[in-house]
Amino acid sequence: MMDHAGATREVYWNISHIWLMYVLFFISIGVASAGLYRRIAAWRCGLPVHRSDHPLRRFGFLLKHALAQARTLRDSDARIFHTFIYAGFLILTAATTVVLIDADFHIHIMRGSFYLYFQSLTVDVFGVLVIVGIVVAASRRFMTRPRKLVYTREAGILLLLIFVICATGFLLEGWRIAATHDPWAAWSPAGHLVARISQPLMSEPALRSANAITWWIHAALVFGFLAWAPYTKMLHAITAPANIFTAWLEPIGAILPPVDFNNSEVFGAKSLAQFNWKDLLDLDACTECGRCDAACPASRVGKSLSPRDLILDLRGIMRGHVPADGNRDGPAMLQGAPPARWETVTIAGGSPSTGAESLWACTTCAACMQVCPVFIEQMPKIVGMRRYLVMEEADYPPELQAALSSIQARGHPFRGTSFSRVEWTHGLNVPDSSHAAGADVLFWAGCAGAFVERNHSVLRAITQLLERAGVKYFILGNEEGCSGDLARRVGDEFLFQQLAERNIETFRRYHVRHVVTACPHCFNAFRNEYPRHGGRFQVHHHSEYLARLIQEGRLSPVRQIRELVTYHDPCYLGRQNGIYDAPRSILQAACAHPLREMKEARDVSFCCGGGGGMSFVDEPRDKRVNQERAGQALATGCDVVAVGCPFCVTMLDDGIKSRQQNRLVRVSDVAEILLQATE
Amino acid sequence: MFGARGFDRSAQGLLGAGRDLADRLQAQLAVVCLGPCDAQLLSALEHIADEIIVADQPELASYNADLYLGALQKICAEPRPRAILLGNDTYSQELVPRLAYRLAGSAAGDVTAITVESGCLRVRRSVYGGKAEAIIALKRSPAVVGLRARAFAPAAEGTRSAPGHHVSVDLPDTTTRLLEHTSASAGAERLEDAKIVIAGGRGIGGPEPFIRLQQLAALLGGQIAASRAACDAGWAPPSLQVGQTGKKIAPELYLAVGIHGASQHMAGVSDAKVIAAINTDPDAPIFKYCSFGIVEDFRKVLPILHEKLSSGS
Amino acid sequence: MNVVVCMKQILDPEIPTRDFRIDAARKEAVRGSANLVTSIFCENALEMALQFRDRAGGRITAVTFGASAAEEVLRKSLAMKADAAVLVLNQARPHPDPLSVAAVLAAALRKIGSCDLILTGRESGDWGSGQTGALLAENLGCPCISFVDEIEASAAGVRVRRQTDFGFESMSAQLPAVLTITNNERNVPRIPKTRDVIASHRQPITRWTLADLGITTPELPAGAPYYEVAELFIESRESRCQFVTGDTPEQKARAFAERLAQAARSC
Repeated sequence: MMDHAGATREVYWNISHIWLMYVLFFISIGVASAGLYRRIAAWRCGLPVHRSDHPLRRFGFLLKHALAQARTLRDSDARIFHTFIYAGFLILTAATTVVLIDADFHIHIMRGSFYLYFQSLTVDVFGVLVIVGIVVAASRRFMTRPRKLVYTREAGILLLLIFVICATGFLLEGWRIAATHDPWAAWSPAGHLVARISQPLMSEPALRSANAITWWIHAALVFGFLAWAPYTKMLHAITAPANIFTAWLEPIGAILPPVDFNNSEVFGAKSLAQFNWKDLLDLDACTECGRCDAACPASRVGKSLSPRDLILDLRGIMRGHVPADGNRDGPAMLQGAPPARWETVTIAGGSPSTGAESLWACTTCAACMQVCPVFIEQMPKIVGMRRYLVMEEADYPPELQAALSSIQARGHPFRGTSFSRVEWTHGLNVPDSSHAAGADVLFWAGCAGAFVERNHSVLRAITQLLERAGVKYFILGNEEGCSGDLARRVGDEFLFQQLAERNIETFRRYHVRHVVTACPHCFNAFRNEYPRHGGRFQVHHHSEYLARLIQEGRLSPVRQIRELVTYHDPCYLGRQNGIYDAPRSILQAACAHPLREMKEARDVSFCCGGGGGMSFVDEPRDKRVNQERAGQALATGCDVVAVGCPFCVTMLDDGIKSRQQNRLVRVSDVAEILLQATE
Repeated sequence: MFGARGFDRSAQGLLGAGRDLADRLQAQLAVVCLGPCDAQLLSALEHIADEIIVADQPELASYNADLYLGALQKICAEPRPRAILLGNDTYSQELVPRLAYRLAGSAAGDVTAITVESGCLRVRRSVYGGKAEAIIALKRSPAVVGLRARAFAPAAEGTRSAPGHHVSVDLPDTTTRLLEHTSASAGAERLEDAKIVIAGGRGIGGPEPFIRLQQLAALLGGQIAASRAACDAGWAPPSLQVGQTGKKIAPELYLAVGIHGASQHMAGVSDAKVIAAINTDPDAPIFKYCSFGIVEDFRKVLPILHEKLSSGS
Repeated sequence: MNVVVCMKQILDPEIPTRDFRIDAARKEAVRGSANLVTSIFCENALEMALQFRDRAGGRITAVTFGASAAEEVLRKSLAMKADAAVLVLNQARPHPDPLSVAAVLAAALRKIGSCDLILTGRESGDWGSGQTGALLAENLGCPCISFVDEIEASAAGVRVRRQTDFGFESMSAQLPAVLTITNNERNVPRIPKTRDVIASHRQPITRWTLADLGITTPELPAGAPYYEVAELFIESRESRCQFVTGDTPEQKARAFAERLAQAARSC
């Protein structure tokens, strides 16, 4: 074995006029910096927001998601090739830094075993991986052509550029190896291969001039790439980590900010002037990967909603691509004040992605946010635009107008119901508010439970289970008001605040300390949103509470449900509040056979289609989210679809009925199943 | 009554109610015909009424509120009737309160029954959007009552032969003027007279299905109608609106398609003999009024109905 | 052009029939857990006034005769951008007859001053007597057109379209005039913008008592009583609906068609 001690190569071998390289380098850095500075100046135009709390947690996020690319690795055809390209970039950048340290700072680390194992072998291997990654990426982009990608010339050129950079790198390495008869050639396998092929074909002078020319081409391309990158989607190399560091750390269900009605010039997001700097950074972090579109239930069933296009269209506005205004980024943007141009561009309705049809197709399920590898927050932007349309323009679908008017007129959105809030208690001895003083827990039935007959049996099951467990609870009956979740998601924040204040006052009056809800939407509002308005009490969803009762031995189900069960994670319980295991533990305790999981479960559960007001809106018959999800549930071969939400119950019930073939499949709440298992 | 309409079902009910009330009060029944009256009408009336007053001067040929009120006021001034009965068509509805005011009497509209108690007229009408019934005592005289005329039985033909005479009264100036008359869509028969009515509501989802309903109605020899929700959405003209604030009809058979059955709607049709409904919501209140019903999407049901009814079996 | 819209606050007409109860002694519906809302035709009337003002200019005043809770109706009217609001406080019996109401409204309108166009709903969503607008017109000595669903200003006064049993009539009237309004697909009341709702709470509402209007009798005016509600009751209804059955929608539909054909044959 040769002694590695002397292993190295001459930096800038065969290259003269090195100063030119430095000039090019500084020019490219300058151009890149200007581009980056322009972006930063744009973000600084946004309203202030705090996203630097818990720095250690954020740093951990960075490690997991930016460095280890946790989300990219999930379930996507891109994970292999992006990892190759990304890792390759890291390694090649490190290698170039090593050269910098060695050649410019004269700290001679590029020697010996390090030179061989890292600078030669590792770099070559990763260079090849980059090329492989590019080829796979290109075949996806040009041959497979999946719908979720954005097909721009820029994307193709970037792929080509990176390919040529790597190719020229290997070529000039190979020609150097050949011309210098490098003794360590075998440590650079790819370069060695080029050398072996070229050696018989080219004379030494030819090798030298080819090397020199290619070196300069390679340098120009690299610097060109560097300079150009911040102006393309390669900007995500910087914005993605920044966006990940400033990500929303709390449950997604808490992400919508309140509106200060006394101090707001505009209610909701009329233009980008109402976005905060994180919202604007979001727009520049987008890698155009399209995962959000692929996950969005509305998009999947063919509706016009496209979270990806929404972000990219808003990005276009931020970068000055305003149709009416030909003036591009000018000095005004560098001064930190929102340029007049931004304020004049009303974003809602400006393009198909922000048009009424798209905005009102959103179920606010936040699947888009859950799959985004760079933690863009699409859903709050949609709600922001909804808020503007609803509160400033009173321009929104008539069915939602009717639902909100109904909430105002009679305290619930279910216009035309033949039920009152207490109908479901008939025949049961459910303690009313006169029992409030001795009770530990308030059981909040919610509107969807009380006014939709199908859900009465769920409420009854829950109260019967509470009775059996000996829980001292009471219900408010007619004193319940709508929790306001619907108003909040549709965008009428004013109505929401009125409802919240009224309910909080009712809770105060009865000294309520602990609420158990039957509905994840009420649950989310109480847990994540009511504290901002003075509501201080513990909240649990019924699945959490019942799971706890089982754990404490106060309920003893027998595993006697023999049917095959699958569980559909409600968006507001699962993805938005992280509660996946409690309902599953109930099913585990009640069912004889193991749970059949759907492919899109837990945090990537596919919405039932009922959130965001959508259960009140008529949808075209061929574009129904609930039918899509019902199909997914039926594909598990189950007999029972278990859920934890009254909207999911009705939406999936409908969906299954419309798709049922010959087998009888029922939809049940986990409480109903648990009750069966305890009889 | 309005002479131009002839002795239709509404007029028959009106006369029936009048005759009945007159008999109970042991009073005379006079009929005032406003506008042109033909001989056929007069011959029908003369066996029922005790007196027929025809006011057919040319100015009264077509309806004008000011002129008709003026005429009625003058005609009723002398005999000082105890009660004045009108129907529940649009014109009568607007005349009733105004006539009462001018004659210093009391009024009530959409009345379904009249009784007399200690000389005071008591009328029955539905209130609170059809959810309740009220008995209202009309304290003043004359009691001007707008009747849901078709709900009253026609009078038995008597042997009397009422004298009729023409009057001509001084008429006031008009403050309103009719510019133009437009009739809604065809429908030779009036909705209130139809024996079979098929109505569409919010569940219909658009104007096109009404064409299917119309075809179905034609097969059965009936008429179509609509709920307020469908009219407000612009799917059907207001003349087809049935309900508390629309037409009040009493067909033999009423088929409600995609209609929820709110009391305000049912108030317009609760006198129907047989009510049936197609609705996807098994909890819809409409079913409480039905003799039979189907819980199904109307789009699946209508083609089969069409097929069955056109095959004539 | 001064437009006045007369409005009424009523018990929510959409409470489920099951929950609707009568106080037989007081001869009125029991409030229960129902909310108070504006009668829908009054809102249609306000919407028509707003559309009229959009086209022809003018000033809109919303007027209501009711309990102090009726202020809500006026707040909502101001939020919908009415220019002014007047509450005439009813401190006497709760369900005055239409003649009394018309007399009070007439007195209020006279106090307001020049009223060119007066709009009311065709009937209220609770008692639905449908007389108040007409009696108001008689009291004021104005022309009255009922069941109006379109209004336009014209040289002579107003030109309106109204619904009749068989279609529409286009009519003209001199001003001042009273129009009673009915619903169509174009006068669905607009949703107020939140900013206007917030602003409406800061706008003044004129409050008058009957004494302010010169009405001194404790019973409402109009001399001898117009009418009295002698009884109020709910007719019970049993549901005997037979639902057709079948394994498939087609089977059910066939069974239904059979029943329907049968019923039609016996008509």
